[in-house]
Amino acid sequence: MKKTLLKAGVIGLLVSGWVSSNLVLGQSDPSGKKRITDTYAITNATVFTAPGKAGTKATVLIQSGIILGVGTNLNLPKDARVIVGDSLFIYPGFIDGASDAGITKPKDLERPEGFVSSNPSDEIAGITPLRSAKDQFSISGDKVDDLRKTGFTLIQSVPEGGMLAGKTSIIVLGSPSSTNLLKENAALAANFRGSRGMYPGTPAGVMAKFRDVYENAELTQQRGQQYASVAGVKRPEITPTYSSMSDVINGQTPVLFTAPTELEIRRAINLQKELGFNLILTGLEDYESVIDVIKASNAKVLIKLETPSDKSIKAQKEEVTEATKAQYERVKDAYSKAIAQAGKLEKAGIPFAFTTVGTKPADLMKSLKVMIENGLTEQGAMAALTTNPANILGISRFAGTIEKGKMANLVLTTDSLFKEDSQIKHVVVDGFVYDYELATKKKPETNGEKKDSLKVEGNWDYKTESPHGNSGGVLAIAKEGDIYSGTITYDDPSGSGKTSAPIRDVAVDGNKLTFFFDVTASGMTIAVEISGEISGTSMDGTMSVAQFGSFPFEATLSPTLITNN
Amino acid sequence: MKKQAYFLAALLGLSIQIATAQVKKGSVLIKNATVITATKGTLENSDLLVQDGIIKQIGKNLNAPSGVQTIDATGKYLMPGIIDAHSHVGLDVVNEATSPITSEVRMKDMVNPFEIGIYRALAGGVTVSHAMHGSANVIGGQNATLKHRWGSTDPQDIIMQDAPRTIKFALGENPTRVHGRGAGIQPRSRMGVEAVIRNGFNEALQYKKAWADYKAKASTKGNTTVAPEYDERLQTLADILDGKIIIHCHSYRADEIYMLINVAKDFNITKLVFQHTNEGFKVAPEIAKYTMGASVFADWWAYKMEVYYSTAFNAAILTANGAITSINSDDAELIRHLYHEAGKTQRYGGLTDDQAIALITINPAKQLGIDDKVGSLEVGKQADMVIFDNHPLSVYAVPMMTFIDGVKYFDIKENADDQRLKISATEMVEPIFLSGESHRCMQDTEFLFGTTESLFNQKH
Repeated sequence: MKKTLLKAGVIGLLVSGWVSSNLVLGQSDPSGKKRITDTYAITNATVFTAPGKAGTKATVLIQSGIILGVGTNLNLPKDARVIVGDSLFIYPGFIDGASDAGITKPKDLERPEGFVSSNPSDEIAGITPLRSAKDQFSISGDKVDDLRKTGFTLIQSVPEGGMLAGKTSIIVLGSPSSTNLLKENAALAANFRGSRGMYPGTPAGVMAKFRDVYENAELTQQRGQQYASVAGVKRPEITPTYSSMSDVINGQTPVLFTAPTELEIRRAINLQKELGFNLILTGLEDYESVIDVIKASNAKVLIKLETPSDKSIKAQKEEVTEATKAQYERVKDAYSKAIAQAGKLEKAGIPFAFTTVGTKPADLMKSLKVMIENGLTEQGAMAALTTNPANILGISRFAGTIEKGKMANLVLTTDSLFKEDSQIKHVVVDGFVYDYELATKKKPETNGEKKDSLKVEGNWDYKTESPHGNSGGVLAIAKEGDIYSGTITYDDPSGSGKTSAPIRDVAVDGNKLTFFFDVTASGMTIAVEISGEISGTSMDGTMSVAQFGSFPFEATLSPTLITNN
Repeated sequence: MKKQAYFLAALLGLSIQIATAQVKKGSVLIKNATVITATKGTLENSDLLVQDGIIKQIGKNLNAPSGVQTIDATGKYLMPGIIDAHSHVGLDVVNEATSPITSEVRMKDMVNPFEIGIYRALAGGVTVSHAMHGSANVIGGQNATLKHRWGSTDPQDIIMQDAPRTIKFALGENPTRVHGRGAGIQPRSRMGVEAVIRNGFNEALQYKKAWADYKAKASTKGNTTVAPEYDERLQTLADILDGKIIIHCHSYRADEIYMLINVAKDFNITKLVFQHTNEGFKVAPEIAKYTMGASVFADWWAYKMEVYYSTAFNAAILTANGAITSINSDDAELIRHLYHEAGKTQRYGGLTDDQAIALITINPAKQLGIDDKVGSLEVGKQADMVIFDNHPLSVYAVPMMTFIDGVKYFDIKENADDQRLKISATEMVEPIFLSGESHRCMQDTEFLFGTTESLFNQKH
């Protein structure tokens, strides 16, 4: 032992001019952020190496971002930082099959002079397969931190954009000093979203355009081959769209199609059958009745890690007519079917994983628990978080389980993962250890407190969901004496951007707020009613418009912009 | 479907059926009905036997083979399933309004079998509807002919797979407003509309020739001709020129109707049906001579400038001139009582029962190219039919049962009230409003005008 150390010292001296170990740098790092060691030993913890494996007491040794060993008789290097794991449970780091964390949407391109909306350039129309998620990703985003805190260590980062938004990247949520990039061009992100006010503007146009782009990418490749082998052939026109589609048409890169509903799932599968690309379906929310269709297509599946809100069920009233009761029952039935879908997918033998696109990281584990309470096995849930996404993304050689030689991505919890009070204490990503404060139990709010702290005035950021999509804006409320007034911004119905309207008839009763505003379009005025309950800095309620029905309305009080009177 | 095979097939203009599941076919014997055949008169106290979805026998004293259900229709009327040649029911998207020509767009991609309008149409005796692209473009998308097999979850199961392809054209104010005034491009006038159509067809001829030239040379040694650009828009127009697709053209004024007849003559197109056709009565002989007729409203006009000159006698005048004439709904509410709409032609024009019934059965079937399969009660045809309590042209008529392929999809007595197939897990149960917008001809174009609906329709 002594000899080895001496040797190491000599070599270290010899090469220190141009090679440095982390140890040396650590001591001379002026920022003080450099790690003292990249070797960690988590000792005597309960380790779950893979889904379905029982937990066993073991030590996990990691170095340079790699698992050096898992066992009871490991020799721990002197420089290993020991994390006493006696009371901890270790799971493989979670993998997010498709993620929007850290993604900044690129700016919409300016429409050029003489822009013709019936024939826009590919780039303006959202056909940008050349783009890459890695160029839109930043590890310093809040959602990245929140996702990591939830146990996610690896993501497939999905670019924002139009119908062919760009290529995804597989990224490890590790040190900010690294690019953390594991794989570029992992998949081509596609969706049925049309471009606003130009071709293709609807899902119908998107499907037609998808076929067009695909067929012409094939023909472009064919012309290129002819050009390479025969003299006298016209130079093929190579465009960014077609050249970045070639890996897709050759079957190397799958298409990651966002298809939340059963009809969209069928549409994506129809395109796959017609054109023959490899398909990963993502963002699935309503898929119960097409599980057999999905299975027959051999498409890979990423379901949205979110369960529907039970707000509408809680809003059901006691004293209603028989007809309304029957309607209530159907909603309840739909709800219980929705939360049981993941379990059915598992039973059908489809090795699905999750996507967190469009979700709140804080709710992810809650949603997963709802799925488990309604038919998904814990083993299935673990597989969907670890081994299944590793297989779908083609990274199981180095991710998905706790094994010697794999990437040091671990989740350390205070109790068995799916237990009610279990909390995440550390997350290890690429060998970097992130420590988290354990939460103490929340004090139940008393009515008195609620009343005192009821704050209506201020700037509320709101979101609504309607069958036609989500929208949002800012609701600014001011108070003068006992009178509330203010304005609300909303998506301009006659074009792009936002417009605003004054709010009227603002009433506050207990913690309940109601008000109206008027939207004028095409010379018609429609009244919109909002009613919601305020709890602390959040508001939950509905937005109702005659003839259009009611939609969920959620708002949060913006802490920095509170107006004082 | 292998992509190569598909591509070839698409070039050849063949229509592709994707994984057609087996649709249900039923057997039933209907006894003692007044059978309105639509093509062979009315038979009193007659029976009609359906086996495996096909009408096997029509006559008296028929016996049900074992296992076949018998329905006693004594005192009731049996007629062919009503066919609506102009509807937008059951479509998630109606208008890809962004280009003057969007012939590559397929309504079959957008079929939504869960839309309650399908059931309501069924309750009005409508078994087949022509789910059309909207009228925002000069040449719109390809339409879907639907069979209202309510309860299907696969869109393919409500698409009438053996119906020929059809496509939407539109003349006049809609395309000139959307593209000319809205986007500042051609067409800005009725002349521009004609130019767009003629240019489109001429380009399609060039496209067809380019591919034919390439294919002729492709397999020769040392070939230097490269494959042309693939363009389903032009391919579809070439298919129209090759007689593979029936044009259904939104039109109002006589001058533009006659214009399109001339364009069709110039390009040797014979498969042409006019829709709305409010001034059709002025050019009825021409429509009769050169086209597959007109599909009109019974009495609906004056909703925009070009529709002010019209008459409730339109259908009768067209019929009297020998034009194939049908009455359509273009509306989720009107589709529920097309038999009333047909009955109006007896008040305005004195059509006979047979003529009036034909307006909503065999005539629209002819215009959709499906008259060899549906549209009348004849042995060998698909058993799409409706039982009415009174004569269907009576104002007291109520559809009692509706069958498609011999399977009963609507029964006024037995069906539960709530027929919705899909319920949102987060639906707020609200009081029911009895009014609502239903005119969908210009759906998905609202962003161009800023109508109220677009407030909640931000994705387009």
